Amino acid sequence: MRQAIVRGDPSTYPDWFDGKRRQRPLIVARWVPIAMVGLPVAVLFAIVVYPTIWMFYHSLRDTNITGLFTGNHAYIGFANYGTVFSSDRFQDSLVHLLQYLSFGAVLQVILGCVLALTLYEVVKSNLWRTIILILLVLPMMLPPSIVGVLWRFLLTPSNGAVNQALLDLGLIASHIEWFNAGVSLWSIIIADVWNWTALPLLIIYSGRVSLPPAVYEAARVDGASQWKVVRRITLPMLKEVIAIAFILRFTDAFKFVDLVYVMTSGGPAQTSELPTYIAFQRGIREFAIGEAAAYAIIIFAISAILVTLFLQYMKRVMRAQGLA
Amino acid sequence: MARLAIEGLCKGWDFPVIDDLSLDVEEGEFLVIVGPSGIGKTTLLRLVAGLETPDRGRILVGDRDVTRVPPYRRDVAMTFESYALYPHMTVAANIASPLKARRLPEDEIRRRVGEVTRLLRIDMLLERKPGEISGGQKQRTALGRTLVADPQVFLLDEPISHLDARIRHELRSQFHTLEDLRRVATVYVTHDYAEALSLGDRIAVMGNGGRLVQVGNPRELFEQPATLFVAEHLGQPTINAIEAELVDVDDRLEAHAGSLRLPIAPAHRAALTKVQQRQVTIGLRPQHLRPSDELPQGVALEGRIDIFEALGSTGVMIVDAGGVRLTALTSPERTFDHGADVTLAWNPEALYFFSPVDGRNILL
Repeated sequence: MRQAIVRGDPSTYPDWFDGKRRQRPLIVARWVPIAMVGLPVAVLFAIVVYPTIWMFYHSLRDTNITGLFTGNHAYIGFANYGTVFSSDRFQDSLVHLLQYLSFGAVLQVILGCVLALTLYEVVKSNLWRTIILILLVLPMMLPPSIVGVLWRFLLTPSNGAVNQALLDLGLIASHIEWFNAGVSLWSIIIADVWNWTALPLLIIYSGRVSLPPAVYEAARVDGASQWKVVRRITLPMLKEVIAIAFILRFTDAFKFVDLVYVMTSGGPAQTSELPTYIAFQRGIREFAIGEAAAYAIIIFAISAILVTLFLQYMKRVMRAQGLA
Repeated sequence: MARLAIEGLCKGWDFPVIDDLSLDVEEGEFLVIVGPSGIGKTTLLRLVAGLETPDRGRILVGDRDVTRVPPYRRDVAMTFESYALYPHMTVAANIASPLKARRLPEDEIRRRVGEVTRLLRIDMLLERKPGEISGGQKQRTALGRTLVADPQVFLLDEPISHLDARIRHELRSQFHTLEDLRRVATVYVTHDYAEALSLGDRIAVMGNGGRLVQVGNPRELFEQPATLFVAEHLGQPTINAIEAELVDVDDRLEAHAGSLRLPIAPAHRAALTKVQQRQVTIGLRPQHLRPSDELPQGVALEGRIDIFEALGSTGVMIVDAGGVRLTALTSPERTFDHGADVTLAWNPEALYFFSPVDGRNILL
């Protein structure tokens, strides 16, 4: 005999959950959804939007540390920007940034890609894949300050492990001065590549794992060579994934400051400074808040433009494949 | 041009999937392998294509033993159930890929891709990517990629199973008419018996344990199924299988199932007496069991209608007759009420007798 079900009266519903507690309908007060969306928005506003506006405001004023606390600062137009753009220090740092981007970030993505695809193609046992992945990812788990100290130690010119190894292998005749002008930025790049290659590796590896196997079987029947398969099938299909890995490393590069600070402090003679490091130096160390704010806004603008271009490109690629 | 020969093929992982399977496909023959899902049909194709290595046995294309030869040197082409198109390439580039891999000159590639796409009527899609075309068009692109390779052996893995019914029927006809497919040895895998009966020069029914249960032309398989498995697999609705006991009544032989009493035709009686088997599974195709007024010369049988489905081109009724559930067909224009009593008629000559132990057809 079936019991009549009365709409809105849960006690007449059949007990589908069979002993388990019946779920109560989700009825919440009106303010709950507003608070749920509002709180994160408020937090984002407090830690992202407000500081950006604040920074832009001070980049137009002659604020220094005392002025900041006494409220004694005046509008000076774009004078801070003028100071930044006309300084050799800033222009040099842009060159350093370019060098860091094109060798550091790009190398990390290329290396990560090569390692990920090699790992996938060569190692077939899941257990070994996991073990190797964990080993490769280890450097990424270290805090950058530790990585900086570690590499300063490894690269110590007189008796550092790297120089010693290169000497023993007969690859160099005398010590490399890793922290001299012109070399120190390369040392930072080496440490950073060691620290962060695992991120693009992980992203690209997981991308490769999720590619459909049937496509590769079709390629085998077609008779495409191993290299051709990688070049004509794997890489094009991983295009978006690689682009995302690159964007991640790229945006990180713009806020990159920790290894510079720990390894060289921008030296010697400011030859390994990046724009972010100068902003930090001018603002936090030398209390020129207005000028540091101008630095920050310039970096913000450059990275915003580049990331926008990147996203546009991504959108075009996705649309061409009918994904968006 | 060449034939395909499979000799004593074995393949298994934790359990045997293909077990001592032998099969010849002649040049120009269209062989359909049919069987339920998960029975090893695709594995068989993958072995022939070279995507898997057999544990034992040989595969020959023409006189050449290709068992240990890599896929692309076997001169076979395969379409995949998922089509396996390259998503980042255009339709033209997808179809051209086997030719590109062989390093043919550019204008030769363009000419052959043009020919194949015109033949398959996808020549207006050349610059589209797989994400932008329909399922039927994807299937044609995948087929184009195998056709353009001009192989000795075609392997088609459920090429049209995932398309909707109308397009499926439309594309089925393409397999009848494609000269390139009909010239060489083709192995076509499907779980759809209608495709098998429609397309196959011969049909191989694959059963549990990775063996071929029966190989023969469609008519032969339909009319003389070697086992109950074959009979159940070919034909829609599924054949009635009735567990029955053979009983001598006076000078006649009857099959008793529940309270059903089925007289056995004299022709069958002699054969059944010879095999001396009393427990049998009787097979009766639904098309041989009809309302008595549609089959006046048949033997009558009383029952009650459980379910009646009017399907447009035919009516299907499921009838409870003396505790046995039977499926019967009616002519399309008639309707019946659920729960109504009905008198059915059947033709004793149309019965099959299978062993209840191993499902073998006793009269073959």
